[in-house]
Amino acid sequence: MIEFADVSVTYEEASQPVLRDVSLSIPEGELCLVIGPTGTGKSTLLGTINGLVPHFTGGTLAGRVSVDGQSTADHPPREFAGLVGVVGQDPVAGFVTDTVEEELAYGMEQLAIAPSVMRTRVEETLDLLGLADLRHRGLHELSGGQQQRVAIGAALTAHPRVLVLDEPTSALDPTGAEDVLAAITRLVHDLGVTVVLAEHRLERVIPYADRVLYVAGDGTVESGTPARILALSRVAPPLVHLGRLAGWEPLPLSVRDARRHAGSLRETLPPQPPVPHRRSHATGVTALTAQGIVVRHGAVYAVRGVDVSLYAGQVTALMGRNGSGKSSLLWALHGAGPRSAGKVDAAEKVGLVPQTATDLLYLDTVGAELSQADRDGAATGTARSILDSLAAGIPDSAHPRDLSAGQQLALVLAIQLTVTPGVVLLDEPTRGLDYDAKAALARTLDQLASQGRSVVVATHDVEFAATVADRVVVLAEGEIVADGPAPEVLTASPSFAPQITKVLAPLPYLTLGQIQAVTG
Amino acid sequence: MRLDRALHPVAWWLWAIALATAASQTSNPLLLLLIFAVLGLVVTARRANAPWARAFHYYLIMALIIIAIRVVFRSVFATGITADDHILFTLPQVRLPEWYAGIQIGGPVSLQATLSAVIDGMRLACLLCCIGAANSLANPKRALRVLPGALYELGVAVTVALSVAPQLVESVQRVARARKLRAGRRRGLRAFRSIALPVLHDALDRSLKLAAAMDSRGYGRTGAATPRSRRLTGALMLAGMAGLCVGAYGLLDPSVPRAAGITGFAAGIACSAAGLALGSRRVSRTQYRPDPWRWPEWTVAGCGVVTAVVLSLGLGYDPAALNPVLYPLQWPDLPLLPTVAILLAGAAAFASPPPPAGARA
Amino acid sequence: MTAVKVPKRAIAAIAMASFLGFAAFFWPFGVPAGSVDSAQTAPLLFGMLLLIVLAVVFAEIADGRIDAKALAMLGVLSAINAALRPLGAGTAGIETVFFVLVLAGRVFGPGFGFTLGCTSLFASALLTGGIGPWMPYQMFGCAWVGMLAGLLPKAKGKKEIVMLAAYAAFSGYLFGFLMNLSFWPFSVDPNSSVAYEPGLPPLEQLQRYLVFFSVTSLGWDTGRAVTSAILVALAGPAVLGAFRRAARRARFQAKPVFTGAGNRPPAQREDSGDLEGGQSPLRQAQRDDAPPADAGDGLQHERAHDHPKAEQG
Repeated sequence: MIEFADVSVTYEEASQPVLRDVSLSIPEGELCLVIGPTGTGKSTLLGTINGLVPHFTGGTLAGRVSVDGQSTADHPPREFAGLVGVVGQDPVAGFVTDTVEEELAYGMEQLAIAPSVMRTRVEETLDLLGLADLRHRGLHELSGGQQQRVAIGAALTAHPRVLVLDEPTSALDPTGAEDVLAAITRLVHDLGVTVVLAEHRLERVIPYADRVLYVAGDGTVESGTPARILALSRVAPPLVHLGRLAGWEPLPLSVRDARRHAGSLRETLPPQPPVPHRRSHATGVTALTAQGIVVRHGAVYAVRGVDVSLYAGQVTALMGRNGSGKSSLLWALHGAGPRSAGKVDAAEKVGLVPQTATDLLYLDTVGAELSQADRDGAATGTARSILDSLAAGIPDSAHPRDLSAGQQLALVLAIQLTVTPGVVLLDEPTRGLDYDAKAALARTLDQLASQGRSVVVATHDVEFAATVADRVVVLAEGEIVADGPAPEVLTASPSFAPQITKVLAPLPYLTLGQIQAVTG
Repeated sequence: MRLDRALHPVAWWLWAIALATAASQTSNPLLLLLIFAVLGLVVTARRANAPWARAFHYYLIMALIIIAIRVVFRSVFATGITADDHILFTLPQVRLPEWYAGIQIGGPVSLQATLSAVIDGMRLACLLCCIGAANSLANPKRALRVLPGALYELGVAVTVALSVAPQLVESVQRVARARKLRAGRRRGLRAFRSIALPVLHDALDRSLKLAAAMDSRGYGRTGAATPRSRRLTGALMLAGMAGLCVGAYGLLDPSVPRAAGITGFAAGIACSAAGLALGSRRVSRTQYRPDPWRWPEWTVAGCGVVTAVVLSLGLGYDPAALNPVLYPLQWPDLPLLPTVAILLAGAAAFASPPPPAGARA
Repeated sequence: MTAVKVPKRAIAAIAMASFLGFAAFFWPFGVPAGSVDSAQTAPLLFGMLLLIVLAVVFAEIADGRIDAKALAMLGVLSAINAALRPLGAGTAGIETVFFVLVLAGRVFGPGFGFTLGCTSLFASALLTGGIGPWMPYQMFGCAWVGMLAGLLPKAKGKKEIVMLAAYAAFSGYLFGFLMNLSFWPFSVDPNSSVAYEPGLPPLEQLQRYLVFFSVTSLGWDTGRAVTSAILVALAGPAVLGAFRRAARRARFQAKPVFTGAGNRPPAQREDSGDLEGGQSPLRQAQRDDAPPADAGDGLQHERAHDHPKAEQG
């Protein structure tokens, strides 16, 4: 269905190609997963399929990309619209209209499909993606997962034979992401659409993938079965790392497969892990106490009387589903958000990194942002040195908006740390980060804790919490429902546990490191 | 059994324009008030629950302002007071230099002058409210679909703008909230910068993503236009513009015969329209759930047109009743046929289907 | 950098449209008594004319193909203008639309400025329920302001800002002057001494209008001129920077290049394969030190990572 013959892509003003001599073919009806660290050319690879690269982006494409026998060199992307459907990372950014039905129909209107055909296709797509109840709703009233499903539906109504999705879940919370991925796998099975999917929540899709393309970062792309590629890939879910460590063959790709292999491993492991899941820096000195926090938005109580104390050197993960009051609590603890009742005593300053970190950046260069931060209450050069300790090598001259999500987070964190808060709060920092960037963030948070700061991370990401948190607080409907050491809370229920715990349950292991400590 | 649905926007516009035409024909305050009443009735009965539908009362406020301004201007810059006028009071008069000949400030204010200003203002206000009624009754997004294919890009750009504008407001709120988190909070211009720039950057970045999405989804696919038909389109449009120029010139220069000017206008409009129609072949696209044009549309547009015709023709009643005199001052008559015609326009409130409940689009 | 190419035919159309626009606004000073039936028909007539003229000019510009990038930019900037407009409407004379219009015209070129003027006003009218006979006049005025901003001479740094601020102030006044002129003939009671009176000599007519203008909206327009100029002077550099960055990233009129074997018939494949493209061993050996320039947005994050050590941690 999709053929790449000796494809190289070089952007204008770049001295080195992003993709180099890529030759591969994707047969019809496959679910093809594209993996690789952020910034290695995944998006470029996906963009070449319908000709956005280089028609839209400019640059040079050497070789030949063809879909269903048609070369992208001969037709602009719009002529591929009936053949290749494309869904981007941020669904909202791609919406042309403002209601669900109109958005589903937009692509078909461009293709001049007859109104009666359009009507039936919209109906079938609404059913296929479970959007029927939302048909008249405005796109902006929908949740992220619903929006992304509409975007997929909008691409599907043109009946494309190939669907290209570029990290469709990276901006979504886990519930939304699950919905979207479930929809995608259903498409592959029910409609036989060829799907090319770049995704970093591998654990969810790997079991369904027929083929994995690994974009290595030097411009080469490796194509193969999931087990073969993942055995070598640097980017892999914890499950695969566990499988590799234990030497399981074939490499298990789902928790179920792994549990079937894991019997012998469970027997060899001691009932209690010999080492903690992470080295804690907690000192027991109280950094902040909050009592009876109540936050009300209109008629809704987002936080209902929360008492919480934070300790210096401790990393706390604040978990809970969407709308459980995590953000409201963080904002109330910081003091910038509304607080209807309760009081907060902080020994030191409190800093907060909001969900959309770039909201805080308004100057043209990284250098200007850093010196502005210095002027706000620190000696010259402080912000720069903090940034370098978090993420080295971001030049002063770069535009903050051109940085990767991880770098932007580091920059905002550095700016907030410049005024040396003793308590650092982060609201959903892992959204949109890949494994590498998450690992880097985990190191950063550990470093902050080792400096004696108290760190709170609101996150949905269980794996991330398992690597970074000393303590886990779970919120539900604005109340604390669990608060305790991370191993206790995270192993208490199987559905709320990290992958390794799921595989090794009932043994309370959280991280790969704990197993490595036993096996050597 | 009548199903709720949105009436074709063009039907509402035709109805409103016809009613405006009718209003422009009369300075009878009773008839004007009747038109106001009909507008109010129809708007209350048939507007949807949507943001644009709330525009009508702004138009009412504007209408009051227009009347007030008229009265003030008439009183302050008064001319033409005759001996028959009933003088209400006298404003102090300002002497203007010689070269300001003909402009008078202050002086006596008469009852007749004030009444005539009020009535004239009412007529203008009535025209304005007709437009306001159309604005609040017709769904603007559906109206956009009526644009000819030659203006396809205009329609798309405006559709995009309509869907992005609410997001911008959200974005501003979010950034303004986040701003509180940064130390050394800025005030004044810096505050503006720290809110406006992130929002602007977000919006601009979004436009590029949107462009990629539109490109992938088939925006701008070329239709059936051949190079030859495109050349013809261009020629028609340029000829049309030239015709309009001739017409305008004829209007401005008295030495050009009127017939030449009018021919120029007519030919220009015809050529431009033909050019636009032919140019529409440049894009090929279809419409999802096109608005139907059925008997309610015919009825609504029709009863508007009947009103306009009755008031314009002046047959079957005394045409003088449409424009009652102020000298001598007397209570205006209410001519029967125009009254019935205006009331007929009010039938639109019952002829049109009820708007869909809670539908946004 | 022009986001929207203006074909030659459209230039001719714009020239004629300007003449018609001139006539549509300034007819009260030129029309002899009796050539227009009443003070109410002429504005309506010219309003209709302007609508046709705008449609023709827009169609002619669009015929040169407004690509998706320019169109999306047009949509987003129109949204900004439409969202900004109500901010100014209530408060005396604070006008926020011109500021964006002038800066965008400057950065994205006259064709874009013209279309942005049309779409902004149209979108704003649709959002606020403000469609009416005044709309063609406003659209025309704004289209001109945007287009002329794109035609201003080259300048850099402070000079550019001063020039743009002066232009913004000037266009604020001019716009007010023209808009008042468009409704003056019918909106004032014909018996008042500042009303349009058909058949007066042009100079006397102008005198009447000037009094009307200075009484009704001079203060308002001064507000608009001053706020536009101040906004341009203060926020101009940052906003220009943002626009220029967006223009750079968008690569309007980017030329895709296809090279290499695959795009030719298989027979020719062998001999052309190594000639060009990123396939020479020498080029492969080169290290990429400078970040490659911005590509499309979905590909945005890939750039940053081309700095070898630039990732966090």
